[in-house]
Amino acid sequence: MTLLELDDVHAYYGASHILRGVSMAVDEGEVISLLGRNGAGKTTTVRSITGTEPPEVRSGTVRFDGADITDWPTDDITRAGIGVVPEGRRLFTELTVEENLKMSEIASASWNTVRRRASGSGPPTMEIDELYELFPRLEERRSQRSGTLSGGEQQMLSIARTLRLPDLDLLLLDEPTEGLAPQIIRSVSESIREISDQGLTVLLIEQNVREALKLADRGYVLDQGEMVYEGTVEELENEDLDEYLVV
Amino acid sequence: MSAEPSAEGDDDEPASGALETWDRIKHTERFVLVSALVFVAVFPWAFTSLPLVPNNLLAYDQLARLVLIWGIFALGFNHLLGQTGLLSFGHAMFFGGSAYATALFANHVVADPLLSVVVGVCFALLLAVVTPFVLLRLHTVYFAIVTLAIAQMLYYMAREPFEGITGGINGLGVDRSPLFGLLELGADIPGIFGALWGTYMYLFIAAFFVGVVVFITRVRKSPYGLIFKAVRENETRASFVGLDVWRYKFAAFVISGFVAGIAGGLLPMETYFTGVERLHWTLSGDVVMMTVLGGLGTVAGPILGVIVFLYFEGVVNGLDVIGGYWLLSLALAFTAVVWKYPDGLWGMITSVSSRLRSRRGDQ
Repeated sequence: MTLLELDDVHAYYGASHILRGVSMAVDEGEVISLLGRNGAGKTTTVRSITGTEPPEVRSGTVRFDGADITDWPTDDITRAGIGVVPEGRRLFTELTVEENLKMSEIASASWNTVRRRASGSGPPTMEIDELYELFPRLEERRSQRSGTLSGGEQQMLSIARTLRLPDLDLLLLDEPTEGLAPQIIRSVSESIREISDQGLTVLLIEQNVREALKLADRGYVLDQGEMVYEGTVEELENEDLDEYLVV
Repeated sequence: MSAEPSAEGDDDEPASGALETWDRIKHTERFVLVSALVFVAVFPWAFTSLPLVPNNLLAYDQLARLVLIWGIFALGFNHLLGQTGLLSFGHAMFFGGSAYATALFANHVVADPLLSVVVGVCFALLLAVVTPFVLLRLHTVYFAIVTLAIAQMLYYMAREPFEGITGGINGLGVDRSPLFGLLELGADIPGIFGALWGTYMYLFIAAFFVGVVVFITRVRKSPYGLIFKAVRENETRASFVGLDVWRYKFAAFVISGFVAGIAGGLLPMETYFTGVERLHWTLSGDVVMMTVLGGLGTVAGPILGVIVFLYFEGVVNGLDVIGGYWLLSLALAFTAVVWKYPDGLWGMITSVSSRLRSRRGDQ
């Protein structure tokens, strides 16, 4: 079943026409990779999905689990079941590791105004202990201020915090390996694989083609605001897409 | 900030010494309550009659009461800026609005101090519930400017068109009857407590003060406190955990206006007077300065800032020679403190004490 669907989305930053009719579909349980160079429109696509402004989506629709979420505010979209790990490991830097994880819980306790919940197709919410198992380094640093963590640890915490959201159906990762050391990239990738093995649908936005293809079932390639390629990982590997990608 | 390390969860380690015990208790709510009680019990005496201090450097009874009133105001203001990151340059609207509502109720309906203050607070609450529908659409500097504009609008309204009600620039004398018709608040407390606290009015104000400190601490320690911090740090990130940011900013704004309204209502009861200057932007500016000087985002900081500010205004002001330059000397002190310690006086105290502790640890 299709969980997330973009249909001919046109998005603008002011007068600049950034996304020129982007369409894509993410099925339940899949790991989808959205690839493209810097400036191809990957982050604009993410922001169009999450309802973060700017950009402004002037035509086209974003559907999630059957509902048209194009004009929903970000917090409603989060509550509907899309967990976002934003670009650049955005944490609450003044809060400790544990408080960051607690934040999702506290926030969700106040979710009494939910417009609708998604079908709940995703796996059950991970407990803090399970997350510490997935990211052992976070447990060591649990009372440390999250702003003082290393880049890799911050990325782990950012993912872990998102996984603490209840009724999560889709995990959206915006460039999770950006700026990390190769060894850390491997460890983060492994964690993402473990998460998807548990049945969570993942949309992975990446510049790092090699890492992305290792994880994904299917991939999309974006260039200058248009979808230029779509296919399974095998097809993508065989295709010559160098002009659109950084390999 | 610095006065509120967030690692409250780690009390699994057994306390081995006095310092550890101190670390464990200093952030508990009960400790805050006890400190607030001790503070109000000894503060007026220390402020006005500390032995060995020359007479002209000591404050007077009323200044101690004003410190508590302004302390309440600063705590209310701090709840918005320090906790949620919204800078209001118009908090005079809650202060002055409540002061007028209190005064008018006392003069025209019942002059009971408690009832009048409650009416004033209700008016401040009304303002705090209505204005966010305009204000919270705005961010950062636009928010600050429009709060300023609304407060100034109220100021000019009170000054000219409503002069008949508000007394305009001449202000308004305010009636005050005994509390519940029984206790004259202006009367001296008999015995040793009288020497400590002066009149019953001090106790009346101190009760509000302790209540506000406890209330603010309760909010900070609750899950709301964490949410407010998250919103302050980044609104987008807060919405990524499914928080309706508007709702929490609204809540913070209402709490802040409510607390500021308590202070505004108490002042006319204390001074038997209210005037348009309590709506003026300079009053909004004073509370910003007090809070930042003392230490933004903490509970003790804003109160400390108020003490220093009012000490300069009320005591240094009266000294020979330097008295004429009290505002200049305050400004210099402010600049020096904030330059070296951006977290204000309270930040200075915590950083000095932690430096002393680490030096002791080295030995």
